[in-house]
Amino acid sequence: MREIDTKQVFTKDANKTYGLMELVKGTKPTVGLQPDDMVFTWPHLLIRELVLFVVVTAFLLVSAFFFDAPLEEIANPNHPPNPAKAPWYFLGLQELVSYSAFIGGVLVPTFIVVILMLVPFIDRKKIGIGKWFAKERSFANGIFLTFLIIMLILIIVGTYFRGPNWEFVIPWETGGLH
Amino acid sequence: MKKNYTRTKPPEIDRRKFLTSLGWTGVGLSTLIASIGNLLYLKPAIDYGPPTLLRVGKPEDFKEGIKEIFETERVAVIRDKKGFAAISLTCTHLGCTIRTSEMGFECPCHGSQFDNDGFVTGGPAPKTLDWYQVAIAPNGELEIDKSIKITPGTYFKV
Amino acid sequence: MKIKDELINLNQQKQKGWFKQFWSNLYRSIFRYGKIPQDAEGQSYAVFNNLFLHIHPVKVSRHSLKFSYTFGLGIIAAILFLILTFTGVWLMFYYFPSATEAYNRMLDLRSSVDFGFVLRNVHKWAAEAMVVVVILHMARVFFTGGYKPPREFNWMIGVVLLLLTLGLSFTGYLLPWDQLAFWAITVGTSIAGYAPIIGEPLRKFLLGGDTVGQEALIRFYVLHVVILPGLMVIFMAIHFWRIRKDGGLSHPSENEPTKKGNSR
Ligand code: HEM
Ligand code: FES
Repeated sequence: MREIDTKQVFTKDANKTYGLMELVKGTKPTVGLQPDDMVFTWPHLLIRELVLFVVVTAFLLVSAFFFDAPLEEIANPNHPPNPAKAPWYFLGLQELVSYSAFIGGVLVPTFIVVILMLVPFIDRKKIGIGKWFAKERSFANGIFLTFLIIMLILIIVGTYFRGPNWEFVIPWETGGLH
Repeated sequence: MKKNYTRTKPPEIDRRKFLTSLGWTGVGLSTLIASIGNLLYLKPAIDYGPPTLLRVGKPEDFKEGIKEIFETERVAVIRDKKGFAAISLTCTHLGCTIRTSEMGFECPCHGSQFDNDGFVTGGPAPKTLDWYQVAIAPNGELEIDKSIKITPGTYFKV
Repeated sequence: MKIKDELINLNQQKQKGWFKQFWSNLYRSIFRYGKIPQDAEGQSYAVFNNLFLHIHPVKVSRHSLKFSYTFGLGIIAAILFLILTFTGVWLMFYYFPSATEAYNRMLDLRSSVDFGFVLRNVHKWAAEAMVVVVILHMARVFFTGGYKPPREFNWMIGVVLLLLTLGLSFTGYLLPWDQLAFWAITVGTSIAGYAPIIGEPLRKFLLGGDTVGQEALIRFYVLHVVILPGLMVIFMAIHFWRIRKDGGLSHPSENEPTKKGNSR
């Protein structure tokens, strides 16, 4: 019988067919729980990624042929367009800025970023994971959905319902969709 | 013979701890200084924009009650009974270029309105238009310094 | 195939013609484990012996592969970033970050350069799509509880990725130097100027002066083509790496049993 050096945690063994890959903390190995649920990345995930890549590229190429990216006249610092709008994803904020510069320009964006960063520390209970709109989490989901919808409405108002002088317009009446 | 060495903590470790924290302080401080240096480097030091000093003509060239617009310089020169004023044409709301109106000035972007002295009379603009310093240059022309902002309402007497 | 067999194979190749042998040696030097892998061992080696595939785990759960779970949104965001990098570098061959030249170059791309309009259009639409897709991805992670322990940190990395995406889109917006670009950036940076204390310095910092001009263009250009994409690559790498270290995607088996029983 060979002597085993007890000081070593992982003994060297010529017959060993496995190696130490990594150390994981936890009560159970993730693979162990439902071995049948695991499949090989090659080919199952890779083929999906490839298909997505082809679809996305094709979609972009087709759109590029049919829709030109906008290009207006050359920039002219003396003649602002009426109304002047920020990029669409900031139009929700611009809409708020037109009520109060401080609230829309500072308070709301800072608040959004801070809260987003804190989300996983506020809501830590391990329930309703891995399922869309799990019943156990309807409160959290409700808040987030409301937030997304409010932002969406503000952006839509800023994009389509604001005309010259930032006045409220109805796009289909003025034909002002742009 | 027995000597009693009672140490609550071995001193070697104390020294090590001290040196470690000294080391980390050094690393921290030099990182701080380096970041400040980098930020200062990026801070716009030279104004490559249009010149801030501009001469707009002799005081006699201006008629009372008429707003003279210098579009590219974004400034309006006003002559009043009280004297001269140079008012910025950059909207205090979100930076559009404003234009004159019957009541004073108005901004095409989101409809802010200002009176002849640049005070807000309507719309989302939060504060009065900037007033620039006016002086007389050695050659007798009015000289506006856009880098110096003065209290709105202080007219320059010739 | 076992490694031993592999070596025997190599020895037997001595009988082949010199070119075939060279080709086989070259191929083996790059791809050590045969052609398209058929068995479990080969499939594992294919992933962890390849730098580009190695960001994946060797095995993934069926649950995470379901399209209706992720809608592929994270992957789509990554694909869009790849496409944007490619088209962006290509655009750089013609673009010139100068207030007098930039707009002309956009016109040239549209009318004179072969396929110039395709590159610009793809870049533009991919950029718009990326903002949408990243926000939708965030929504899917929220609605499926994907940010719960141990994935808190990856959610925070995600928020940084969202900010970087917005930053890239915003800095790119100025580059065509048309009316839309100029005034959108004037308005956008003025919004930033409202922040107390740091607002005005931050605005000057971004613009390199008081108003949008040549200085602003060069600053936005450097941010858009070097700094922000660089940060994006770093944070994406952390994001993907963390997905593996957090044990793959969120899975119903992670739920703690409730009083009513296991909510699986
Ligand atoms: C450039 C932007 C981003 C890219 C390329 C990206 C990529 C990915 C990918 C490929 C996955 C795998 C699952 C899937 O496809 O849904 C993933 C998962 C995840 N992402 Fe992102 N992501 C981005 C932005 C974000 C944002 C904005 C957030 C949240 C604020 C976020 C938080 C997460 C979290 C927490 C997971 C793990 C979800 C789970 O385990 O269910 N990511 N990301
Ligand atoms: S920029 Fe003048 S009103 Fe908005």
